[in-house]
Amino acid sequence: MKLTRREFSAGLAAGLAAPALMRSAWAQGATIKIGMCVPVTGPAAEQGLWAQNGAKLALAAVNKAGGVLGKQVELVIEDDQTTNPGIVLAFSKLAAQSDIVAFLGSIRSTQVQAMAPDVIKVGKPVMIGGTNPDLTHSGNPWLFRFRPNDNYSGRVIADFGVNTLGKKKWAIVHSTDAFGTAGGKALSEALTKLGAPPVLDQGYANQSQDFTPVVLAVKQSGADVLGTYFTFENDLGIFARQLRQLGVNIPWVGSPSVVAVSSTKLAGPALFNTYGVADFAEDSSDAAKAFGKAYRDAYKTAPDNQSAWPYDAITILSAAINKAGSTDPNKIRDAILATQKFAGAEGEYNFDKNGDGLHGYNVVKNDKGKIVYDKHIDFND
Amino acid sequence: MDLVLQLLFTGIGIGAVYALVALGFVLIFRATNVVNFAQGEFSMVAAYLMVVFSVDLGWPYWLSFLIALAGMALFGVIFNLGVYYPLRHRTYLPVIIATIGASILLSNSVLAIYGPQPQVLQGWFDTPGIQLGPVYLDSQYLLIIGVTILLVLFNFWFFEKTLLGKKLQATSQDKEMASLLGISVSTMIMITFIYSAVLGGLAGILVAPVLFVSIQMGSTIALKAFAATIIGGFGDVAGAIVGGLALGVIETFGAAYISVPYKDGFAFLVLIAFLVFRPQGIFGERVAEKA
Repeated sequence: MKLTRREFSAGLAAGLAAPALMRSAWAQGATIKIGMCVPVTGPAAEQGLWAQNGAKLALAAVNKAGGVLGKQVELVIEDDQTTNPGIVLAFSKLAAQSDIVAFLGSIRSTQVQAMAPDVIKVGKPVMIGGTNPDLTHSGNPWLFRFRPNDNYSGRVIADFGVNTLGKKKWAIVHSTDAFGTAGGKALSEALTKLGAPPVLDQGYANQSQDFTPVVLAVKQSGADVLGTYFTFENDLGIFARQLRQLGVNIPWVGSPSVVAVSSTKLAGPALFNTYGVADFAEDSSDAAKAFGKAYRDAYKTAPDNQSAWPYDAITILSAAINKAGSTDPNKIRDAILATQKFAGAEGEYNFDKNGDGLHGYNVVKNDKGKIVYDKHIDFND
Repeated sequence: MDLVLQLLFTGIGIGAVYALVALGFVLIFRATNVVNFAQGEFSMVAAYLMVVFSVDLGWPYWLSFLIALAGMALFGVIFNLGVYYPLRHRTYLPVIIATIGASILLSNSVLAIYGPQPQVLQGWFDTPGIQLGPVYLDSQYLLIIGVTILLVLFNFWFFEKTLLGKKLQATSQDKEMASLLGISVSTMIMITFIYSAVLGGLAGILVAPVLFVSIQMGSTIALKAFAATIIGGFGDVAGAIVGGLALGVIETFGAAYISVPYKDGFAFLVLIAFLVFRPQGIFGERVAEKA
């Protein structure tokens, strides 16, 4: 048989194109892929595992209910090593797989900040848990947040203290790092708006071995309520003990660290009857209770915000793709932003134009060492 | 006045912690002419040993305390043989780097075993403290101050009145001369490491109920203790105690009357002032000639 030059060229082209065509055809017939950057190694590896648990739980429910666009959903996990360079690398590895339609990013704001420029380049939706308000307010259209941002924690602390506890003379104690300074400022502004400007705004440096001067400043200010933004739980523990020892027993409403498991353990009775804001509280809604039950059944342990936000992210993302009827990034984006009044584990999602899904916090109370749900405060803006 | 008394008590309490760790720095410096940058980790390791025996195994507090201190003595031997001894004929620089390496190794090993969450260690007394008029005296701080006073007296007796103490002093002053007089220099250095490890461990165990047991507990105290040794005069036992107490009081009052966020700044401002105007410290010899 004689092979003409034309036949040879056509054959060569077909031969070269065949694997790509076959892969494309196979991909179309297989699964919908979602990428997830999560700490598998590094200091937050344990929390990373909880995040994967939450995501997988939601994935199982979605697939059981028929999947997305008639196909099963598959999670592609990449280790972010709990570092900024790690998440940039992990995201670029995932982004190179063109059949991944959307991604889950980090609960850490600094990591989200690190990957944000690449997110714009890739141009596909990324669900995040980092709470720095700037992340969704810097013109990046592809970031969608599944936890309330830090602007709301200050407002909820102020609202709860002033309107529920009826206290107007506030002392604010906050860390002087980025988190504590921003939090203290947000709380101070919220209090001023409510007509109760703080009588004391006291910063402290992280890893202080002694808080006597801070406690005495609170005592001398004559404040009748305390608002705090502590970064490290051991600082909080030392402060709480010294506060009680020096006879300051005023009500206390703090950022999430006040009700964190390790602070409760370290400070013991010194933190009894304090209030804290928390984005996930199991008793806050039927959806949170349902998630709690499913999580306990699957993993035999209590869930927290580390697993709640990925659970919500997968659930809402899957629903959004179904609603969009396509995996086109712009259509998915519109569908996520159109999500309103969705009851998730973290609260009721009402996405705004910035990509923020939640606009409030739960207030929880330390009742003799047990953290119990008190009330939920939401804002409309 | 009430405020001043309360601040003074806390300042002396936290200063006594710095003084205990500073004492460990000084003893090793005198014996080997190097600064042991793992001194803070000695405190951390001892506090974790207490957690193992007293909390995890549930042994009586006093027994755990004795075993932890014995463990620290053994630790001093291992540290000497593993970190100092192989490098003893080199200049001070490789030894200092080796102590920094040991410090990183120790904190990461404990991190790998216990994880980053701080642990709780109960205090020696059931009563958290006593109210004396307007001043609240934390029982653990009272214990720390008491132990510091006892150690000052013990050190004076040990180094000035006993033969072993005099041998240690001779070794620290001139190793060759001491060796010519029949003193075993390597034994003396071994004893110094054991004593420093026990002292550092004692500081760690005493302070753990106040500051909690964490990986960073050693390094944050050691930094201040290092400043205290320079203020007191590097190489002087009395200087370490006075420097530590002075630093504790200065930073507590500075925080209360000037600025809380700059609390650590006051400590280092005093350090800089001493380095510029009196580098030999309150009691000591000239730092510039040494390290």
